[in-house]
Amino acid sequence: MTKALAIQAKGISKTFNISEDSHNTVKHRLFNLFNPPRRKKVEALKTMDFEIYKGECIGLLGRNGCGKSTLIRVLAGVFPTDTGKIDIYGSTLLMNLGVGMSHQLTARENIYVSASVLGLKIKEIDAIFDQIVDFAELREFIDTKIKYFSSGMVARLGFSIAVNAGADIMFLDEIFAVGDMKFQEKAIRVFESSWIEGKTVILVSHSMDVVQKYCSRTAFMKNGSLVYFGDTDKAIQMYIDDNH
Amino acid sequence: MIIAILTDWFRRSNKSERLWLLAKIEFKLRYYENKLGLLWALIKPLMDIAIYYIVFQVIMRQNVPAFASYLFIGLIIWNFFIESTGGTIQILNTKKYLYEYSNMNKLEIYVSTLLSNSIGFFFNFVMFLLFYNLLEKDTNYSSLHTLWILPLFINLYILSLAISLILSNIYVIAKDITQLWTVFTSFLFFLSPIFYKLDTFKERLPTFDYLNPLAGIIINARKATMEGANPDIKLFAWDFTYAIVLLLLGIFLLNKLGSKAAEKL
Repeated sequence: MTKALAIQAKGISKTFNISEDSHNTVKHRLFNLFNPPRRKKVEALKTMDFEIYKGECIGLLGRNGCGKSTLIRVLAGVFPTDTGKIDIYGSTLLMNLGVGMSHQLTARENIYVSASVLGLKIKEIDAIFDQIVDFAELREFIDTKIKYFSSGMVARLGFSIAVNAGADIMFLDEIFAVGDMKFQEKAIRVFESSWIEGKTVILVSHSMDVVQKYCSRTAFMKNGSLVYFGDTDKAIQMYIDDNH
Repeated sequence: MIIAILTDWFRRSNKSERLWLLAKIEFKLRYYENKLGLLWALIKPLMDIAIYYIVFQVIMRQNVPAFASYLFIGLIIWNFFIESTGGTIQILNTKKYLYEYSNMNKLEIYVSTLLSNSIGFFFNFVMFLLFYNLLEKDTNYSSLHTLWILPLFINLYILSLAISLILSNIYVIAKDITQLWTVFTSFLFFLSPIFYKLDTFKERLPTFDYLNPLAGIIINARKATMEGANPDIKLFAWDFTYAIVLLLLGIFLLNKLGSKAAEKL
């Protein structure tokens, strides 16, 4: 049986050029007009190749600063790669504490904009609109601009849009930290019942339980390189060893 | 390539819907946040007209027939251009929420924002037609030639989109473009036939009706809406080519620089 590809990465790498701005005052800047600030290269991702198939749930482990977030941004098509080629088959959604929402817009407008960006037609959004609102428990604030929302409310709205509208490929960066306990339970229930099936999910988490429970394959990263990609238990073991 | 992108947009499900949705929301944010709302779209050109009318017709006695209408059509074209270029330099920054979390095509952000400006333009254009036909004295009524405004507007739209793309993508690597563009547009404003008598403009600045792509659009729009004549086709073709060439440069820059917007801004 050949499985359909969701993401194919060949020889991708990513280096950030970070400028150190040491000229803080106007005088300093003037005197150093032709002496540009020093630049530092940070190798965020070292060359790697891998393939992710449709319907898989992939775990991504590694310590802080090892390149996890950069990798999922590259895979989601938000950052371009420096070398190599990446093919993404379908719409992507990157989720950490909130999906892309404008604070100038009301909850209603944000739902329509975000769901539309994820590829839904207006009629389809109309159909799931109530579902999104009720799941986020924001019925009374639906026409309020989200800049007046608490951070928990924004996060719930984002989560609810992601759950109900969904993209073909979802990147979940520590999402089970959203909302209060009641909401978290609900989030996990929904995750289990609908996300695991059919969608391609890349899960970044520091919670070993979550990764062990859901992920069929897991990647372990260290200092920007992909050290291991395969069996979940083995990846978790490597991650635990790395932390000691 | 552009045609391929456009047909792809209309074929592939929800893109045209999304563009319209984003345009509507942008329009609402722009006008309904203020107390006077949509009235501002009208007040601004009217105030500009009042100023230039006093300076050029009352003080300097230029003697252009139907000068208020002459200014009106010139200014709404100019305002559309300025709002769509200078007003969008930071678009990749303000609309970051749209592309920061998904692989949405950035070009859609531009197209929808300019679409929202287009709503404002056509609102103003209707006001112009009312003004010209009802209030302006000693002129003929609008003729069928007025419909030429559509191809002329498409030309203006493509030109503005192109410059918007060029400026906002340069902004990703050099923020100075904002100041540069402010200086450049004040040049351009005085080098466009907005409030000058056309003959004087052509005589003193020969070739400028060709060099400045906006000049041609304004000249032709006046021909179509006020003189009841066909636009100067040679000038129109020239300006259209101008716009397409700039658009290709803009798309090239979007792919080159704009792709890095998420990490640089």
